Amino acid sequence: MNPNPQVQKFKQVLVLSTAMLTFISFWRAASVVLCDFGSSAYYAGGIAMKAFGPAFPWYIMAVMLFAGIMLMVYIESCSMFVRGGVYVVVKHAMGKVMAKFSVSALVFDYMLTGPISAVSAGLYISALLHNVLPLIGADWQISNKFFAVIFGVSVVAYFWKENIKGVEESSGNNSKIIGFVSVIAAVLLVWSLLTIYIRGAKLPPFDLHFTGHALGWAKHVPWLETIGLFGIFMAFGHSILALSGLETLAQVYREIEDPKIKNLKKAVVIIFLFSLMFTGVLTFLSALIIPSDLIADRYADNLLSGLALELHGPYWAKLILQTFVVVSGGLMLVGAVNTSFVGANGILNRVAEDGVLHDSFRRLHSKYGTTYRMINIIAIMQTAIIILSGGDIYLLGEAYAFGVLWSLVFNTASLIVLRFKNGESEREWLFPFNIKIKRIHFPAGLVFVFAVLLMTALMNLITKKTATISGIVFTTAFFIVFQISEKLNEKKARIYAEAEKPDEKLNLREESDINTLVPELAKPNKILVPVRNPNNLVHLKQVLETADDATTDILVLCAKIARGIQLDREKGEITMEDRDLFTAVVLMAEKYGKTVKPLLVFSNDPFHSIAQVAQTANVDEIVLGVSGTMGAEIQLERLAMAWGMLKTGGKDFSKPVVAKVVWEGRQMTCELT
Amino acid sequence: MAKRSDDIAISQVLRPEFIFFLNGKLTKEDSLRFLSGKIHELVKEIIDYKTLYERLVEVDKLNNVLESGFYIPHAKFKEISRFFAALALLPGGFYDEKSGKTVKSMFLLLSPNKPHFFQKHLNLLARLSGIFQTSFIEKLFSFKTPQEVMETIRNLESPAI
Repeated sequence: MNPNPQVQKFKQVLVLSTAMLTFISFWRAASVVLCDFGSSAYYAGGIAMKAFGPAFPWYIMAVMLFAGIMLMVYIESCSMFVRGGVYVVVKHAMGKVMAKFSVSALVFDYMLTGPISAVSAGLYISALLHNVLPLIGADWQISNKFFAVIFGVSVVAYFWKENIKGVEESSGNNSKIIGFVSVIAAVLLVWSLLTIYIRGAKLPPFDLHFTGHALGWAKHVPWLETIGLFGIFMAFGHSILALSGLETLAQVYREIEDPKIKNLKKAVVIIFLFSLMFTGVLTFLSALIIPSDLIADRYADNLLSGLALELHGPYWAKLILQTFVVVSGGLMLVGAVNTSFVGANGILNRVAEDGVLHDSFRRLHSKYGTTYRMINIIAIMQTAIIILSGGDIYLLGEAYAFGVLWSLVFNTASLIVLRFKNGESEREWLFPFNIKIKRIHFPAGLVFVFAVLLMTALMNLITKKTATISGIVFTTAFFIVFQISEKLNEKKARIYAEAEKPDEKLNLREESDINTLVPELAKPNKILVPVRNPNNLVHLKQVLETADDATTDILVLCAKIARGIQLDREKGEITMEDRDLFTAVVLMAEKYGKTVKPLLVFSNDPFHSIAQVAQTANVDEIVLGVSGTMGAEIQLERLAMAWGMLKTGGKDFSKPVVAKVVWEGRQMTCELT
Repeated sequence: MAKRSDDIAISQVLRPEFIFFLNGKLTKEDSLRFLSGKIHELVKEIIDYKTLYERLVEVDKLNNVLESGFYIPHAKFKEISRFFAALALLPGGFYDEKSGKTVKSMFLLLSPNKPHFFQKHLNLLARLSGIFQTSFIEKLFSFKTPQEVMETIRNLESPAI
């Protein structure tokens, strides 16, 4: 209760909440990415085998090593843009039109990630049922592909519902999935090594045997195949689908907790080691243990199940291991469906913030605060793709690499451009191999990566007909949607020039009393940071730099002057200025990876509101920014007067509250007792 | 509660001879001029009246009338090395346009403008705004002499100081 009701000056408290204000650990971030990135272990090898024969494990391994390089490229781009990803990076380097093209390609990738993962999981489960059910006398006549379609649609429906609820609980599930998959992978690895020790093994051949389908339009240019380098790039292009999922890293980066770059690097190391061992090494071991004709005939759709069944040991033990492989694969692949939802939703949000997608797409769910319309679109499109594919994993795999490859080409090219355009000062980390020529560090490493990506993308254009046709159609269609949306938004006076300022969708919860917020402040320390001007947040920056997120609740309070608010019938309204202010607050909190609780109160005396919130929430510190009109001393005097006036409710004030006014390089401190 | 070194009581800075009952119709300016004239008597050797009054008006531009209708004109001066205070009780009150409140009591405070006094200055402001709530001001009107007012303030403060 307010100790002194006669002096309560505000009647309305708005709590601003968005799902993005919750930050996750590097392990959780890595697990979100791995559920997409690592899941390709279950199908990439089989698809590559079908495309160019028994040499596939060399290329899958090469792609996994190349993934390490691409992860480093992403560290550089994330170090430049907290809310980054392909769209933002390409926009800053090459402009909005190219950014729309690259993001359209990436959306195509995400639209396929869900279906390929869900169908692959369905194929693994169906193959297991074909092995297990006859043992108990059941007659299982349903075809693998039909089962995969039904299963895939069900998984998409499940994660559609989960994502409507929000990302936080989804990332928790991903961590558990990756933990379980790691255990199964370790068992597979050890057992495979034992099998090789007992049976011996021969390294897979290097020579490539492309099918007519895998050559695509290149079969009309037979000399291409005979030139070794082109053949290598063709095979690399057919294996590159194992690289999908990197963009998720950029999308998740904004949610990584403080210290962000350090935690990003830790996440990257985990992602690289896991995918190298899981996708690279297990695919390689599969090729060493399973004869290539058996892979092509029986295990192309479920390679790791094949590995489990072809190990040395009794059949019942192998069947148990296959069951665990299928359970782990099922979990990881359905996790990838979730990641595709999170990733696609993140990208669409990013472009919508920029006015490129019509604002109506960003409407927030009234209960969960998620952008439910975007999630609905993703679910509908993924369901349609699963049904149209008819459960053919090779068809999905053929279409898959287009988006990921072209978005990586644009992303890397943009980073090279930005090295020359912006210099190197904005980055906390640089991709290695830079040659110093006079004052410029020529990004030789990035140029090499770009050359590899471009060459692979061009080879894929002529060899992967399905990917090229469907990719171009989809990308063009999305590009047109973005163009039309942008025009419509311009009509609504969302002027282009303001696009540099992200328009944060803020979810508002109204409370009539500040006391209702107290139970939400569970951390031992509390800091109140009053804010007013989005261009004067030096004090918030200082708090975010120094406060320990694990032990400190940071309340960011905007006490908005609203005369006459003491009348019950009157209510304040949130304005564009308030949105600008809290967008700046949210962006800064994201940058430092720390959780803040933004509050907006309508009051006729901001100092009274500050004192009232501070006393009610029992804060340890009040950190103000300096006021240009008052100056620090008068601010503290006003706060002290408000503090004393409210301090009559019998609260324990034995512990003084520190009040600070902070400005560039200086601060004035006092105690409120 | 333990006494803190920066704690300071109103009764330590206010003397009965500087408590005034101002009857009649007065404006904010009249009241401020009256109290500043009285307190100037104490510092006239070191601060001229014009400087004192102008400084008070300057600080007052940011409005020092509290929600309770208690008005605390105050200013800091390098020239002084202790607090000076005067209290006015205005049964008729005056209307303050800026805050929209009727002021029935005002406390003029001069503080030393020295860093080690700033915390005491803030504590004093907090103490004043805490004690001079509407009901307390109404209670003071029932007294006839400054001594009674002083005694009441002292009694109210004694448990804390």
